[in-house]
Amino acid sequence: MLKNMQEKIGYLRETQLGSFIPVLLALIAIWVYFGIVEPVFLSPRNFYFLFMQSAVVGTLAVGVTLVLLMGDIDLSIATVAGVCAAIVAVLSTNMGVSAPIACLVGLGAGALLGGIMGTVIAYFRVPSFVVTLAGLLGFQGLMMKILGIHGAINVRDPFIRGLTTTTLPDSIGLILAAIGIIIFGLTIWKSRRARNAKNLDNELLYLSIIKFVFFSTLVLTATLILNAYRGVPVTIIILLSITGFLGWLTTSTSYGRAIFAVGGNLESARRVGISIEYMRISAFALVGFMAAVGGIIGASRYASVSFNAFAGGPLLLEAIGAAVIGGTSLFGGRGSVWNAILGALVIGSLGNGLDLAGAQAADKLMFSGAILLIAVTLDALTRGGTSRK
Amino acid sequence: MKKNNINLMKNPSSEQTNPIHFSAQGIVKKFGGIDALNDVSFELRRGEVMGLVGDNGAGKSTLMKAISGAQLCDSGAFFIDGKEVKIDSPHDASSKGIQIVYQDLALCENLDVTANLFLGNEIRYLDNLKIIPRALRPLNHLSMEEQTKEALRKLKVKTITSMRTKIGFLSGGQRQSIAIARAIKSDSTIVLLDEPTAALGVSQTKEVLELVKSLRETNHAVVLISHNLNNIFEVCDRITIMRQGENIGVFDTINTAPDQIVSYITRGK
Repeated sequence: MLKNMQEKIGYLRETQLGSFIPVLLALIAIWVYFGIVEPVFLSPRNFYFLFMQSAVVGTLAVGVTLVLLMGDIDLSIATVAGVCAAIVAVLSTNMGVSAPIACLVGLGAGALLGGIMGTVIAYFRVPSFVVTLAGLLGFQGLMMKILGIHGAINVRDPFIRGLTTTTLPDSIGLILAAIGIIIFGLTIWKSRRARNAKNLDNELLYLSIIKFVFFSTLVLTATLILNAYRGVPVTIIILLSITGFLGWLTTSTSYGRAIFAVGGNLESARRVGISIEYMRISAFALVGFMAAVGGIIGASRYASVSFNAFAGGPLLLEAIGAAVIGGTSLFGGRGSVWNAILGALVIGSLGNGLDLAGAQAADKLMFSGAILLIAVTLDALTRGGTSRK
Repeated sequence: MKKNNINLMKNPSSEQTNPIHFSAQGIVKKFGGIDALNDVSFELRRGEVMGLVGDNGAGKSTLMKAISGAQLCDSGAFFIDGKEVKIDSPHDASSKGIQIVYQDLALCENLDVTANLFLGNEIRYLDNLKIIPRALRPLNHLSMEEQTKEALRKLKVKTITSMRTKIGFLSGGQRQSIAIARAIKSDSTIVLLDEPTAALGVSQTKEVLELVKSLRETNHAVVLISHNLNNIFEVCDRITIMRQGENIGVFDTINTAPDQIVSYITRGK
């Protein structure tokens, strides 16, 4: 009976829609609960801050999903984010380098640090857990060194600040939403037509329609809510664009296939000629890059770079937690970057709601722990479908 | 004496069958002091299924690894259509049309049927745009799916209905079919099957054996390693027997009784 249930859940989780549903239900449950307990939770203003608060965690979660898919883990993302933010802050505030260039240097540094760890993992066959743990410690020290004796640098540069304070005018936000919806609809429609023409099995029509209606409602509602306060933040557009690119990379290119193959069956990936070394180095470099993006967004949001905001706080565990809550398997081979954003919203909503309800830090930690445990248990139960027999 | 043996036992009707497509001659492989393969010769025709039998440690797998490039042999030569070829790596072997299906199948359970069939060899758009790195060119999902459907139809695999099913949800026999389909895709002419029925139930075994028979119709040269003589006798045209690192004879299935084979495997005569 239990086995049967596991199989069914496992099968459900393998489908595109099915992997979305558990995390979405969790999100809706959290919103409904806090909406009743603290009506202000559902106000446009609070939603705006909820999205902004989740942006840093979301960026890191999207990044770490790439290595989780390969069955690896990166424990250094939060500290790499911190190092990159510190580099950007020192360059722009202390040295007067123009902000866009400082940001580019920061992004490059992130990719480099990730690439170095990836190289050690790939060529010296050291488990990623250990290498990135060493990175976590070492980069904490590096960040302290860069920040200097004060331990914090203020960021006042209008370009960097603008990344999280700028919002789009209502009309542009709506136009972007409409474009997104049209592209989504066209993709579904074209794919259906092409599959019909080639006589391949299509998913049921009503499923396609549900998917489309659902996606449109989601995008439109979010845009309207954000417009009701300040408008769609540029940060969200940046995050969605990068996630869109990584989503395409992981599902629609040979590179993405190779990521899933390495996570699913390393030996088989090797036999078909995929270079495991190349995959590891490039994926860790991408994660480092995403960490740098998160670091810059964080620096912009807090208007300062301090040790505690990145390396010392719960950022790392929240990011990995977000990816796993989103349904990405810690065992590798299953997951999606889009779900990482939903996972980040779950963690963000929980923190935000508990804050509003006046909960103590202790309660927040225990709630987050419980949600993470449920997500990981679900992952373990449904691992690999029928092959668990 | 061994070589004479082979010649003596040659298929009497060999004039009507295909010429030798692949041969390995004088293959020697030593592991320390042990002769894993001692001057072994082996040949294959297209459109035939060659059984390869022998006790554990007789050298079957070592021979297969040598042919598929997974393990270098100490001396010996390989010929395809009479021309000598070098096989130094699995890549060499597959570029010469030799494909091996390992016992563990090497499929990714988290990927669907189509993705597994094309893994490492995807069909892409923009493949003539050299500026874009190969790994970043968009996949042509539809062509791949269409070709997968066609490949399975040719192999008469009817139980897999959706090409988008994840391998993790398929039965052992179905997985074997996918692994074989992958091996015969990509212009291969020689397919080596290592114990394809070992872990399967009765009906799935039947399914896979039907598949092996259909490879004869697609004009592949097939090697079937198995401990199950019933299976060997059901599908093979000829049987090569290995014992203690030597090829002790090639027999026509029609003119041989299973008891004889058992006697050769266990006692060498």
